[in-house]
Amino acid sequence: MTHPIIRFDHATFGFPGTIALEDISLSIPESEFVGVIGPNGSGKTTLCRAVLGLMAPLSGTLRVLDCACEELRCHHRALIGYLPQKGMLDRNFPVTVLEAVMMGRYGALGLFRRPSGKDRDIARQALMQVGMDHHRDSALGALSGGQQQRVFIARALAQQPRILLLDEPTTGLDLTAQHSVVELIQQLHRALKLTILMITHDINMIRSRVDRLVLLKTKLFAAGPPHEVLQPDILSQVYGKELVITDKDFVIVEDYHHH
Amino acid sequence: MLELLAYDFMQRSLLAAALVGSVCSVIGVFVVLRGLAFAGAGTAHAAFAGVTLAYLLGLPPLSLAIVFGLATVWITGWVEEKGRMKLDVSIGILYTATMALAILFLGLMKTYNPEVYGYLFGSVLSVTKEELLTIGGLSVGVLGTILLLSKELYFIAFDQEMAAASGVPARQIFYLLLTLVALTVVIALKTVGAILVFAMILIPASTAYQLTHSLSQMTLYSMLIGVFCAVTGVLLSYMFDLPSGPSIVLLATAIFFLAVCCSPKRLHRVHPE
Repeated sequence: MTHPIIRFDHATFGFPGTIALEDISLSIPESEFVGVIGPNGSGKTTLCRAVLGLMAPLSGTLRVLDCACEELRCHHRALIGYLPQKGMLDRNFPVTVLEAVMMGRYGALGLFRRPSGKDRDIARQALMQVGMDHHRDSALGALSGGQQQRVFIARALAQQPRILLLDEPTTGLDLTAQHSVVELIQQLHRALKLTILMITHDINMIRSRVDRLVLLKTKLFAAGPPHEVLQPDILSQVYGKELVITDKDFVIVEDYHHH
Repeated sequence: MLELLAYDFMQRSLLAAALVGSVCSVIGVFVVLRGLAFAGAGTAHAAFAGVTLAYLLGLPPLSLAIVFGLATVWITGWVEEKGRMKLDVSIGILYTATMALAILFLGLMKTYNPEVYGYLFGSVLSVTKEELLTIGGLSVGVLGTILLLSKELYFIAFDQEMAAASGVPARQIFYLLLTLVALTVVIALKTVGAILVFAMILIPASTAYQLTHSLSQMTLYSMLIGVFCAVTGVLLSYMFDLPSGPSIVLLATAIFFLAVCCSPKRLHRVHPE
């Protein structure tokens, strides 16, 4: 097995009096595409924040890029591209597409250094990779949700990351845009060999695209290839008995299936 | 008009106004975008409390204005960071508490002191050479820091958590921004006064916000508007014998409403593709 780039070892995260994730042990090797699923409040975003070094474990350890997560320094974080949940960003902020993507270079550049022509080229390259270079001078707020999401993926790519963390990248997008964004992420994984952690509620959208699924409900319920994790008995423990798997392997709510 | 420039006091006033206009309008961009509008208003009143205490104790007024201003913004930042209560509530408490202190110190003075009220209402035409040097030194410090760290300041204004996740020391930059806001308030205190200083931070940046979708252009436009309003306001105040602070702020307000009416964002509203 390849050396893990992210390694949880009996790690527990939360706040005093509240446990958000408990006793997680999980190793993610370099270049793996991992989908993180689970119901609301299951600790998916906490997992994301922990990998970013924004939360230290209450017990156990988490090592990211061979460094304890609570000791991650700016140069480590610059190697982790992050796409936050859609609602967390001010989409009307007065910023052009290129200015937004250039922000991806700031962490790697360090304090006091001005972005150079090379940084601009890296940002343009990232925009090309997501098919948005022709929009580089447009206002970010003028783009559609799907286009904005591509721009934020480009911002993460401009960091030249080794790990890409995507927190519900398809939330709030129409079906076509959802497919387009997930396909783009899959293409980037293949082309750039990035380690990707993608948090999502859309099990059917990612089941055929990820190498492994991680199923959370405060604890790690299951981790493995999608066909092993998406078993009726496992899903019913996490989501309740109303979630069923159809004969075409789609995960749906039982009521809908009957009607 | 040119003969006005022959007077020493007018040269000092115009220079002070230009410095205050530029510093307030540039820091204002980050205040507006980071959503710190109310924090700045609270800081202005805290700085005035510092001035009144300084007069009571016979100390240099700007030194205690800085201490009070910094203490207020840092407590505000700490409360926001710890999330123990909403930012507007904590600022509201500090704002009224420092204003109460200012009124208390004024009451303890026993005699009317017009110099203190100069800091409340602004008196740019009476700026002394020493005050101009202080304003100049602080302005160079604030603008220089913004220039050196503009990319980090833009990023935390856009999204502080994403900036931290990307390797920017976002927390430290946030506290630096609060410190710069406090220093800017102190710089502008004598010129436009504690009551109106925040308008000079807020209005040029909000006007520029109406005119562009680009961060760098917003900063440039805000600075041009800030300097224009400050200098023109001083000239209008002298020519028509009006108080300087209100002249500057009302001119800036008029330009703001003009920008809202003519905003390219409003007139050519771009719909998502």
